[in-house]
Amino acid sequence: MFNRIKDVLRSLMLVELLKGMMLTGRYLFARKITVQYPEERTPQSGRFRGLHALRLYPNGEERCIACKLCEAVCPALAITIESEQRDDGTRRTTRYDIDLTKCIFCGFCEESCPVDSIVETRVLDYHGEKRGDLLYTKPMLLEMGRKYETQIATDRTADAKFR
Amino acid sequence: MPTIEIDDKVIEVKAGSTIIEAADSMGIPIPRFCYHKKLSVAANCRMCLVQVEKMGKPLPACATPVTDGMKVFTRSQFAVKAQKSVMEFLLINHPLDCPICDQGGECELQDIAVGYGASGSRYTEEKRVVLNKNIGPLISTDMTRCIQCTRCVRFLKEVGGMMELGMVGRGEHAEITAYVDKSVDSELSGNIIDLCPVGALTSKPFRYSARTWELIRRHSIAPHDGLGSPIEMHVKGNTVMRVLPREDEAINECWISDRDRYSYEALNSADRLTTPMIKDNGVWVETDWQSALEFAATRLNDIARNNPQDIGVLVSPNSTMEEAYLAKKLAQGLGCGNVDHRLRQSDFRLDSKHIGTVWMGCNISDVQSMERVLVIGSNLRNEHPLLTHRLRKAVKAGAELSLLNPIDDDPLMPVAHKTICAPDAMVNALAQILKAMSVMPRYAGHLSPAVSNLIDKVKVQSGPQSSAQAIAESLSGSSASVDLVAPRAAVLLGNIAVHHPRYAEIYSLGEAIAELCGASFGVLSEAANSVGADFAQVLPNADAMNARTMLESPRKGYLLVNVEPELDCHNAHLAAKAMAEAECVVALTVFKSEALRDADVLLPIAPFSETSGTFMNMEGRVQTFSAAVKPLGECRPAWKVLRVLGNVLNIPGFDFDSSEQVSREIFGGEDPSQLASNRLNNHLYDSGVRDAARVNDETPNILQRIGEISLYQADALVRRAAPLQKTKYAVPLAAYMHHAQLAQLGFQAGGAVTVSQGNGSVSLMAQIDDHVPIGCIRIAAALKETAALGDMFGPLEIKAVEIKAA
Ligand code: SF4
Ligand code: SF4
Ligand code: SF4
Ligand code: FES
Repeated sequence: MFNRIKDVLRSLMLVELLKGMMLTGRYLFARKITVQYPEERTPQSGRFRGLHALRLYPNGEERCIACKLCEAVCPALAITIESEQRDDGTRRTTRYDIDLTKCIFCGFCEESCPVDSIVETRVLDYHGEKRGDLLYTKPMLLEMGRKYETQIATDRTADAKFR
Repeated sequence: MPTIEIDDKVIEVKAGSTIIEAADSMGIPIPRFCYHKKLSVAANCRMCLVQVEKMGKPLPACATPVTDGMKVFTRSQFAVKAQKSVMEFLLINHPLDCPICDQGGECELQDIAVGYGASGSRYTEEKRVVLNKNIGPLISTDMTRCIQCTRCVRFLKEVGGMMELGMVGRGEHAEITAYVDKSVDSELSGNIIDLCPVGALTSKPFRYSARTWELIRRHSIAPHDGLGSPIEMHVKGNTVMRVLPREDEAINECWISDRDRYSYEALNSADRLTTPMIKDNGVWVETDWQSALEFAATRLNDIARNNPQDIGVLVSPNSTMEEAYLAKKLAQGLGCGNVDHRLRQSDFRLDSKHIGTVWMGCNISDVQSMERVLVIGSNLRNEHPLLTHRLRKAVKAGAELSLLNPIDDDPLMPVAHKTICAPDAMVNALAQILKAMSVMPRYAGHLSPAVSNLIDKVKVQSGPQSSAQAIAESLSGSSASVDLVAPRAAVLLGNIAVHHPRYAEIYSLGEAIAELCGASFGVLSEAANSVGADFAQVLPNADAMNARTMLESPRKGYLLVNVEPELDCHNAHLAAKAMAEAECVVALTVFKSEALRDADVLLPIAPFSETSGTFMNMEGRVQTFSAAVKPLGECRPAWKVLRVLGNVLNIPGFDFDSSEQVSREIFGGEDPSQLASNRLNNHLYDSGVRDAARVNDETPNILQRIGEISLYQADALVRRAAPLQKTKYAVPLAAYMHHAQLAQLGFQAGGAVTVSQGNGSVSLMAQIDDHVPIGCIRIAAALKETAALGDMFGPLEIKAVEIKAA
């Protein structure tokens, strides 16, 4: 009986509402932390697992040796590789596709690669207008590697002692 | 029988067996590299070290014979420590190559290293590097990976018959190498890829193209010779990536020939026909199945309405039983009895004299336990690469091999006696053997009067040229060193005998010889399904035309099932002419072929990898297989094409939904092997010899052709397998003759000559080959370059091309 009366009084005096407004009011004056993406960005770990890249050696030779370990380890079956013997006798891919609509960004491919060829870069903002746009082919991935090599290399060096 | 104990399990084993054999039979794993159950024991890898009670040192399980009461520990601390040390030694010089190594994922060293290797290496010195050797177009080498187990060396020596690889140097400098500048040319060479426990020897055509874990294994049967080796097709997507053997002790043990291994390269060759085509006013146009089948049916029907005998049906002996049977059924539905699969045979006088289906007369595995063998008319390694290995085993175990052949090619095993003579002298040579045998006291009076009258006037020649007496004595067991009174013996006919223009006599005499001395007698059938097609009665009706007469008196219409007429038939010239003159040629074919230029409609059919079917091999074994991949493009399995063609032609009884239904009809619902064992019979009705024989012919002194089919020209598939065509067996085409013959004719080696047979002639180069008897010229058949020539065996003219003075 007593509790009922208390509830009625509380609701009449808008106690809950005022409590809520107080929280809002507190944030109204607090320091703002909204990130103005894309002008501003949150800090990223060097281990961030974003868009893939195929790295190259400084002399321009692709690193990948078509061992197909990344393809085998990929839990989402997102990687497709075809390989052959290149004219100079080395083992090379003729096709290296990553289907980003399948990829779950687990990073296993990077971990399995014996020559640090496939890596996941920090790039997270990429898009496609059609579904097919998200099928990254070998030239696209190599281009990524070319473009971001400095950062990739720095990140891997920093992380090396933990691996 | 000694009783031993391995890891506390007791087993009784055969005296003289080794610890590893005992362990294998119990399913106890012992790591090993150099040991292989089919090869001699080398005991040089030391991976199989085990602890044996009361022995101070670990012993190699592969080389230690068991003794009664022996106690073996394979997993004790002592044994494992020994095994681990060996592993460490093996890895000292082994490169960290797995990611680029084609063996990765199916590597014995990788696997065993997971169990026995350490996680890091203590070896910091420089590793050794061994230069790669180029050993031919089939096998690629990475010799740094070699662990010197010498399996490859032992295989080539013991199974291949020629030691083409060897180990040179010692210790750190030991390496496997071929002879200087020589490749490995064995026709069984591909097996060393399977044997090599590491990635030192891998397949060159397959190199770097796929990983073992991507491949789906589908079972099939090799379609190139009468052996019918069970194979495994490794498929990625819809492509056959490679072919490996399956193990069947009764057929192929665990090997396959290179022909069976690499012919898959033709399956996706650019030559494949993938859409039906019709010739419209001399121009090939692609069309759809409906119109192609209707076109074919109408044309065949038009001819059949006039006279069904105007149609000829030729079926490749490499077709499945279902395909061959349906072709026969179709012909019968049209009222035509001209059906044949014996395309390269030229003598059909024995037709209707056979009691049953001709086969090899014994089981494949019996060959190795024969004590006396006479092989008549066979270039063994060319025709039956893997069966030759069984013979080699027999010879190694002490059998005497005799040969009667028109070519003196080395079978890579000791031959006890041989008669090498011109093809037209073979019948006489055979008669001499029979004569020599029949006068032996043991067999006196055993010969039927018909046969003995026949060979009445035959004189057994003596001297170095003829070994008739010696062969007869050897077969009967009464040779100079009598060690056997009644040896297990076999008389076997090869392809040359079957293609021979006097096959009837050769067969009759061979059978008579075998009967006299109690040997088994048979024919080593040429193609994957020769026996099966015979069995399914894909043969001309009693008064109809056979494969030769069908071409000699050209028909108006032909139905070809997987046949390239000028390459697959005995007389290339006749075949091409008949096709050119025919009104209508309907060809079911896997490939677009120049040999089918005169066809009117091409129906694309699936090769063996894309269809289901049944083969019956030379020992009468019925083997069914299913498709490994989907048919390419618009191709369809030939049995389906024939079935629909039957429907379009309104022939009753063509409502099959699966190839199994067809084979059930062939076997009448009975057990195939039961039926086969009832029907296989090499005997002739008694009149066989008498009617057929003209034994005592004087051999006229004319030049003859020996038109053998070389190893990698045998059928449409191998002809298009690029890697095989790059091997040493793709002998350059030339007119090969004995050097004395060359001198007698006044030619120069390397000089141009014109060879003519009948109306056709070709220009070739004259070359020396002392394996060819005098009076003969060896000119390969089944080649488009010699398609203008006629019979594979027969008279020819040869003259030098005159060089006109400028
Ligand atoms: S794991 Fe590395 S080297 Fe191997 S295929 Fe993938 S990217 Fe190439
Ligand atoms: S042979 Fe075996 S262990 Fe050696 S590199 Fe090749 S896969 Fe690795
Ligand atoms: S090449 Fe292979 S099979 Fe031959 S010895 Fe070396 S490891 Fe053994
Ligand atoms: S397997 Fe016994 S020593 Fe090699």
